[in-house]
Amino acid sequence: MKKKLDPTIIGCVIILTIFGLIMIYSTGGLNYTTRQTLWFAVGIFFLLLFSQISPRFWSNIAPIIYSLSIITLLLILVHHSGYPRRWLKFGSISIQPSEFAKFATIIMLASYLASRKSLKKFPDIIVPLVITSIPMFLIFIEPDLGASQIFFPILLLMLYWSGMPGAKLFIFFSPIISAAASFSIYIWVGYIIFLVIFLYFHKQLYDLIYGLIANILAGLIMPVVWSSLKPYQQKRIIGFFSPWLDPQGMSWQVIQSKIAIGSGRIYGKGFLSGTQKKLAFVPERHTDFIFSCLGEEFGFLGIVITIMLYIYLFYRLLNLARETKNRFSSLFVVGVFSWLSYQTFLNIGMTMGLLPVTGVPLPFISYGGSALLAGLMAIGVSLSISKYKMVY
Amino acid sequence: MDEELKKFRIIRNIALLFFTVLIISSLKLQLIEGGKYYRLSEENRIREKYLTPPRGKIFDRNNIEIANTRPGFYVSVTRAFVDEPSLKRVSTILNISRKTIKERLALQKNPFIPVKIAHDITYEQLAEIEESLEDLKDVQVGVEPLRNYPYKELLFHVIGYVGEVTERELKNGKYLLGDYVGRMGLEKFYEDQLQGKRGIEYIEVDAQGRELRKLSEKRPSPPISGKDLYTTLDVALTESVAVYLNNYERAACVCLDPRNGEVLVLYSKPGFDPNLFIHGIEKTQWQIINKDPNAPMFNRTIMSCYPPGSTFKPFIALAGLDSWMIDKNKHFEPCRGQLRLGRRIFRCWRRHGRLDLIGALIKSCDIYFYQLGEFLGIDTIFSRVKRVGFGSKLGIDLPNEKNGLLPDRSWFEHRYGKHWTLGHIFNLSIGQGDLLVTPLQLACAYTIFVNDGKIPIPHLLKGDSVRYIETGISVEAIKTVCEGLKGVVAAGTGRLARLEQYEVWGKTGTAQNPHGKDHALFVGLAPAQDPKILVCVVVENAGHGGSVAAPIAGRIIKAFLSREKNIVIK
Repeated sequence: MKKKLDPTIIGCVIILTIFGLIMIYSTGGLNYTTRQTLWFAVGIFFLLLFSQISPRFWSNIAPIIYSLSIITLLLILVHHSGYPRRWLKFGSISIQPSEFAKFATIIMLASYLASRKSLKKFPDIIVPLVITSIPMFLIFIEPDLGASQIFFPILLLMLYWSGMPGAKLFIFFSPIISAAASFSIYIWVGYIIFLVIFLYFHKQLYDLIYGLIANILAGLIMPVVWSSLKPYQQKRIIGFFSPWLDPQGMSWQVIQSKIAIGSGRIYGKGFLSGTQKKLAFVPERHTDFIFSCLGEEFGFLGIVITIMLYIYLFYRLLNLARETKNRFSSLFVVGVFSWLSYQTFLNIGMTMGLLPVTGVPLPFISYGGSALLAGLMAIGVSLSISKYKMVY
Repeated sequence: MDEELKKFRIIRNIALLFFTVLIISSLKLQLIEGGKYYRLSEENRIREKYLTPPRGKIFDRNNIEIANTRPGFYVSVTRAFVDEPSLKRVSTILNISRKTIKERLALQKNPFIPVKIAHDITYEQLAEIEESLEDLKDVQVGVEPLRNYPYKELLFHVIGYVGEVTERELKNGKYLLGDYVGRMGLEKFYEDQLQGKRGIEYIEVDAQGRELRKLSEKRPSPPISGKDLYTTLDVALTESVAVYLNNYERAACVCLDPRNGEVLVLYSKPGFDPNLFIHGIEKTQWQIINKDPNAPMFNRTIMSCYPPGSTFKPFIALAGLDSWMIDKNKHFEPCRGQLRLGRRIFRCWRRHGRLDLIGALIKSCDIYFYQLGEFLGIDTIFSRVKRVGFGSKLGIDLPNEKNGLLPDRSWFEHRYGKHWTLGHIFNLSIGQGDLLVTPLQLACAYTIFVNDGKIPIPHLLKGDSVRYIETGISVEAIKTVCEGLKGVVAAGTGRLARLEQYEVWGKTGTAQNPHGKDHALFVGLAPAQDPKILVCVVVENAGHGGSVAAPIAGRIIKAFLSREKNIVIK
């Protein structure tokens, strides 16, 4: 049967991308806008192409796509052009393999999880964890802390969607919380007490043993790992907690970004009239911090419209995941939802000073061909899923 | 299916919560705190650049510039943007330690305001900095008006000098780091007028502090230069004074127009070149100046207190005549060179024999004045002499004027208890003992002989309305003493001040002091019928007033009057 593409999803995406082009023009000028428009055209081509391909195809070639993605990630580590090792250059075109790795990993995870009937035990987490960890690790050592952290919520949500109970997931990944809490002995002790109570009521012996041992170990190891982090990574994390203490340091960006957004007030300063971005106070203003310039020029109204568009897009995606009868398709759409919504939240939260500066682009709006292309490809596959959603 | 829906709802609600947080956060930033951030963004973009106004010029009475401004190059740095290598480079070029620079930068609380770290750099330093400006991050060079004193130490004490604002002065908010403040003399007294009004330019800057353009939408205020001062000072005469005092180490000279109190010369020796303060003086150099026993920073004309010696005698005579206790024919015991008081012997410098009041003034006989003082008593002397201006500030428009010391009965009692003796009155009568006057006080006191009992308050600005001290001393008494003053130069101790063309009146003084040789004093005025100039010369530890100070005063008077005549001929 022939069905039309879901107009709401493609509509939101196109409006957001055009909004992005407008902001890129305002912050980066015509040159960047032209490049991004070309990427947009290529992206729309792939979107339309992928929307015509049956989801089954993706499920079948998942290992190939995944392997290719890993190979490119390895390739830039060895054959890199400059540091950090994020780019793969073909003449004048640079590709960021980490963006495509997200797409590939989601397909691989969806494909694997779909093949398993029930996921209820800890060992069931191992394979998906490995699948996710490989690209995550390779991107982490590029180093690109921002891009690598996106993989975690993708894994978490897809596992949850595939049937893993929430409590199990929490216990399994609880050592991460323990590690984060280890910066303060009081918070850590409080957390461990909470964990013990939680495990007691959970009433599963093996979970209890694992939970306790893993959490205590993580709490001990974390301080050692911290000291081995790159100073700029440490700085970013510290800077998040003390943006006003060191206005010249990392959090300088955050303060300037907050000033940009706040100074936009209700209606904004008007298109091309932002003073913060114009005078280079906002760093990376056409990429990671494009949202601050949006807030400055279009004000609260612009921000609310943008966020509403995102919310509607993500709602449609999540709804699609629920409606889709095919297990692979459903899991894939949840992965895409997780990827895009988490990245959006992270980016906007960062520009408002709510979250640390981790350098992730804003989906569809930030300048960057690879991110846009990968996003549009994922939407293309989702659109084909929406066409075939009643097919088991 | 139920399971699916449950998971859908949980994920949907969590996501919704997260995005609601973002909207609330933007609501807070833009609607609640929007005003604050808008202001911050304005401040970010606009930097106020302060423009130093040129300080008002100072002119002498013939409109010669005695203090003006010249352009000087400064180096400024903004703490927020400068980096360590740039500081290092600048510190080697300017030969200032990095620590000093950093201390300076720390004084400016706002790290985004540029701070001047060096004034008046040399052309070599300027060239070196301009050459490496590419590598220097946020180091700027600019031109500012700097104070210039063309007459160097000649007018140092009366003009004063300007120095860089101190940390303490910064606190009242009137000054900015790097501003110059009047420190002494006219520069200090008329600081508010000379200073001018700082200008502001609004410059759009980027995050690196680089200036992009001047903002047109915010109206700049140009610097308003300080008011010029037109003084009554006479540079040419001061130059002559300096020449005549060339042979002496420490001296003070006051020249007034006795009719209106206009100050022509306030010269104090030794002096100091005030231009050296512009650069900023090294601490060690400053200590040397301050410890110099000749005290070059001291304006002797208004700050040094000398015993007036015999130059005080005319006022004792005035007191006697005004109180009607004596007339000009009053005789006392003849001068035999000494006078015995109990076990003490009070001497005269010569045996003068029998003298009347005029004769005693002309010969400056101490014995006569001891007896006159005893006859009049402390209260008669004090009440009149006080009205002539001794013992208190005259109110000249200069800072740090001293009171001098004029003892009265209660002062003596306080100082020596009940047992103060006639000896103290003897000393007072010949201008010695505890009595101390400033050269300016002495000079002004003599204007009483020109203005029929009125003393004009000395002032330094042309066109100031003249205020007078009404002494209430009788004109007759004044006329009588004038006869004595005439005789002093015509035939008495002040003969060396005599001039061929002009009649000079005056009085010599030789002041004993605890610092060695006597101070030589002379106060004179000329021409006698219509006095145009009054000169008071004090030469420290130089000997007799008649032999040292009188000839100098004579030459000064001659220099002034002959020049004035030339001007008239022109």
